[in-house]
Amino acid sequence: MTETLTAKKFVSNIIFFLLILAAVMALCTLAGTQKISLEKVFAGPGKSPGENIDYEIFVGVRLPRVILAALVGAALASAGVVLQVLLRNPLADPYILGISSGAGLGTILAVLSGISFNLWAGSPVSLFALAGAFGTVWLVWTVGRFAGRWQVTSLLLAGVVINAFFSAVIMFLTSIANSNELRTTVYWLMGNITAKDWPVLIIAAICIVGGDIGLFSISNKLNALSLGEQEAQNLGVNIIRIKTVAFALSAFITAIAVSLSGLIGFVGLIIPHGVRLILGPDHRQLLPASAIAGGAFLVIADTIARTIFQQEQLPVGIITALAGGPFFLILLAKYNKKVYWLQ
Amino acid sequence: MNNIIKVNNLTFGYAGKPLRQKDGGEVLKDLSFEVRQGSFLSIAGPNGAGKTTLLNLLCGLLKPQDGSIEIDSAMIQQYSAKNLARKIAVVRQEFIPVFEFTAAQIVSMARLPYSDTFGFESKRDKQIIKEALEITDTLRFADRTMGNLSSGERQRVFIARGLAQDTAIMLLDEPTNFLDIKHQVNIFDLLKTAQSEKGKTIIAVTHDINLAAQYSDFALLIGLKGEYKFGFSKEIFTGSQIESLFEVKVFSGRVNDANFFLPIGNFAKDSEKSPEKHKPESAV
Repeated sequence: MTETLTAKKFVSNIIFFLLILAAVMALCTLAGTQKISLEKVFAGPGKSPGENIDYEIFVGVRLPRVILAALVGAALASAGVVLQVLLRNPLADPYILGISSGAGLGTILAVLSGISFNLWAGSPVSLFALAGAFGTVWLVWTVGRFAGRWQVTSLLLAGVVINAFFSAVIMFLTSIANSNELRTTVYWLMGNITAKDWPVLIIAAICIVGGDIGLFSISNKLNALSLGEQEAQNLGVNIIRIKTVAFALSAFITAIAVSLSGLIGFVGLIIPHGVRLILGPDHRQLLPASAIAGGAFLVIADTIARTIFQQEQLPVGIITALAGGPFFLILLAKYNKKVYWLQ
Repeated sequence: MNNIIKVNNLTFGYAGKPLRQKDGGEVLKDLSFEVRQGSFLSIAGPNGAGKTTLLNLLCGLLKPQDGSIEIDSAMIQQYSAKNLARKIAVVRQEFIPVFEFTAAQIVSMARLPYSDTFGFESKRDKQIIKEALEITDTLRFADRTMGNLSSGERQRVFIARGLAQDTAIMLLDEPTNFLDIKHQVNIFDLLKTAQSEKGKTIIAVTHDINLAAQYSDFALLIGLKGEYKFGFSKEIFTGSQIESLFEVKVFSGRVNDANFFLPIGNFAKDSEKSPEKHKPESAV
């Protein structure tokens, strides 16, 4: 009999993925160089600060960090799914259109200028990165449209060119930075998750979950779009509208993720592929499942990054790259014959 | 019988790039024809005559520069993409999708114009999908991915999708390209079944003038200089018209009810200039 997605199968698969995420988050919150007991955590905060250290570490340090990792992972993985469809290229990732270099430029400018303020618990680095990311998206969009009416190729080329240019500026600025500024920037460029304050997390959660729900609502049209634009239009998809929504929402959640955690590589590439291998390419299921799996993956990677050495915490980007590099090579070999760059 | 498609003085050219020497570089110029509901129309002509352009105009991917296209007594511009997809299904040349969709998943995309936001198929959708898979004999490999099918099987899957779209009109762009003669006949039989059993209006762009002459009710021949011939298939597919439009010599013969055509080039065995004709007897 024919195997297509039913609402029942969809719900049971998504619940299964959510349970895994919940388990991963719970275990990883407990893991750490400092042992904490759940009993004490549930006892609640003590009367004075410092009375219940276990609670403070759990709620103030580990939980926010785990939640941030889950959010960033979800954003990157779902943006990866969408960009792979938009560019009809299995090797696309959330950074392919240059968003990374724009955010990077924003970060290094924030560090070098030495501005310091606290806006809604948002640091200058985050806000500058966010501005840089949005600026680049706008620039790529405008250049891409100018170069050719909504052609995938011209968007891609605009992204590559802008990426190269901004990277050159970043190189120049890092070469004139002093060592202390350099460390902050390099950590950011490698992708680094640190505990954020709750207001920041709540805003990020609203943006990323909201963006993902928006993307999910066009997921059946993304199925048609992955066959090509003519095919999609003949199946009744308003392609200009769907492409605009898909591009804008995926850029938005990527920008949010990047501004909070720097450039964490490979999550947006390998998670969509891994989930596609398990559940197939139907985007109604692939998109939410990738978001959840991306969250779980990054929580695990970040836990490894902060626990592997007693004294030093690694940037999580190193872990994802070490795990992702070999995986990427396997994919490259597998898809080598099927890459349609210029379709 | 009413006419489901009416094309009036249709003119189209690609901006700034005149492809050939017609008056203003148009690909199609002052083209008019009407298509009867439930009929089978074949569109043929040399490469570059504008057949695929015409197909793209008929399914709303391109906008006419001049003239009009009426689908089911409403102007084509008045349809939203979704509503047009409920009237017209398009089957293009088969291809392997980038991602590994199964045949059944490809066919179920046909229900997109009828779905709501999150779009899970209803019971009725499933029934229509299954029926389309059965008619096209694709049910037995419905769970295989498209990359693991032969070109003929893939083409049938795309036709199944066209059928599951449940439209009055089906447009096909060279559906038999790259297929061997068995599978060419197979595809045309399938289209004829869709026409006779489902009452669909079939419009097929094809290079296969012999099969087109055998299967279609009406024919539209488009030439390179903007000239065209439209009418009953047997009146349009004649040796002299094919020779003048394609600018090639053909041998035409007749089987029971339809003409057939054999193109003859300079060095063909039956050509006057063929070296075979001048070979000494002993060498043959």
